Amino acid sequence: MDFTIIRSNLAYLLWGTWPDGPIGGAALTLILSVGSALVSGVLGLGLGVALAMSSQRLRIVLTAVLGFFRAIPVLMLIFWTYFLLPLAFGIDVPGVLSVMFSLSLIGGAYLSHSVYAGIRGIAKGQWEAGLSVGLTRGAVLRHVVLPQALRMMLPSFINQWVSLIKDTSLAYIVGVGELSFLAAQVNSRTMVYPAEVFLFVGMIYFTICCGLDLLARQTLRRHEGRAR
Amino acid sequence: MKLRSLALLGLLLVSGLAHADRLDDIKKAGVLRVAAFDGNPPFGYIDEQSKKIVGLDVDYAEAFAKKLGVKLELVPTNPANRIPLLTSNKVDLVFANFTITEERAKVVDFSIPYIASGQQFLARKGFLKSPDQIGGLKVGADKGTTMESTLREKYPSAKVISYDDTPFALAALRNGNVQAITQDGTKLVALLANLPDKSKYEVSPFAISEELEGVGIPKGETRLVSYINDWLREAEKDGTAQKIYDKYFGPKSKSPLPRLFKIGESHIREK
Repeated sequence: MDFTIIRSNLAYLLWGTWPDGPIGGAALTLILSVGSALVSGVLGLGLGVALAMSSQRLRIVLTAVLGFFRAIPVLMLIFWTYFLLPLAFGIDVPGVLSVMFSLSLIGGAYLSHSVYAGIRGIAKGQWEAGLSVGLTRGAVLRHVVLPQALRMMLPSFINQWVSLIKDTSLAYIVGVGELSFLAAQVNSRTMVYPAEVFLFVGMIYFTICCGLDLLARQTLRRHEGRAR
Repeated sequence: MKLRSLALLGLLLVSGLAHADRLDDIKKAGVLRVAAFDGNPPFGYIDEQSKKIVGLDVDYAEAFAKKLGVKLELVPTNPANRIPLLTSNKVDLVFANFTITEERAKVVDFSIPYIASGQQFLARKGFLKSPDQIGGLKVGADKGTTMESTLREKYPSAKVISYDDTPFALAALRNGNVQAITQDGTKLVALLANLPDKSKYEVSPFAISEELEGVGIPKGETRLVSYINDWLREAEKDGTAQKIYDKYFGPKSKSPLPRLFKIGESHIREK
């Protein structure tokens, strides 16, 4: 194992050619992850609430749409967004955005089911108690149900976001220079250090994912401390 | 081949649309967008110092941008994305070791070839002696290349394993997952030159096909095609082509290789 290859390409792997060129590498992986985590979280929450609160008919339509996004591979959606939207509708979506768009939609579809299940998991008595003190359905959801449900859903959110961080590597299909893509470039030039290069890449993904997990636990602990 | 069928679907969609003249568009925009390899030395790869895409194909693209008087913008590509990038108008041209084939010419246009080579193999020294062996081997190829399809066609009994790019195929060869890998002779020679243990491997003494590589151009841009062809012939006449070739394959380069093809010819000359 010869890790000088990592040392000589460290800056490139961590942030690409920035500030002379576009940002890339681990920094872009982080940007892609945070961006799509936020959007998928908002989408998941909104759609999950919609699933829980909507009428039977709307729920069937929503479930079908969400089912579609859960069923197609992320890679395929990125490819479609990047290559087929310009052809079909003349909309040109840059690579970074098409990746964020796809990850957000698919992540959101997964999360909405977690949110829906979380809301359903709150005992009926909680709803009745809220309604009986004169709160509206929306107010019960916001002040009584969601605070409890979200705490239960947090592990699902973290699961989904961890998988999303790793899925950012699929950006390679449209030539977005995130960590794995740049690592492949370095590997292509040097040819003989794939083990070193990809071990390092694995370590970075591990660090980012663990970081997210720690952050979530801390947030939860602080939250629970305050609740008591 | 999911991606290929998607690309074809895209082509069907675009074939009905009318085109403006691309040559004028490029000049007006002041930017020439070119797809080049980022992991295929010496045709297109990331330079160790500058971290920018450089290589033989990039030198041609730069020379052409200079001729037009516009800025060059490079878009990294792998072999399989070359056609989709052109048809979805993400790039104006492809300079990426792009072999001219009839099938591809149905959906994109090509310039006259500016470099040529034969499809050869890289294996452990002394292992490959004749093409007859190929049928019984596990061979690594690059996904979406002519090498992959030629190999499957000519040697149906060979076990072809497709990799995203040459370096992955090379890693498979080094690890013993495949017994040989196939690519353009030019590329294999350069690949071998970069290996620390190059004495253990060799490029096969035979080639199974002739590959002529040209510039990929969006379909139907006849003015652009003839403009590029004129420029290429000029580049041969004024020595630019020879200079670019020598930089990567000349006697003083890392991987010397005699130049058996000149722009304007239709076949590789016999050694």
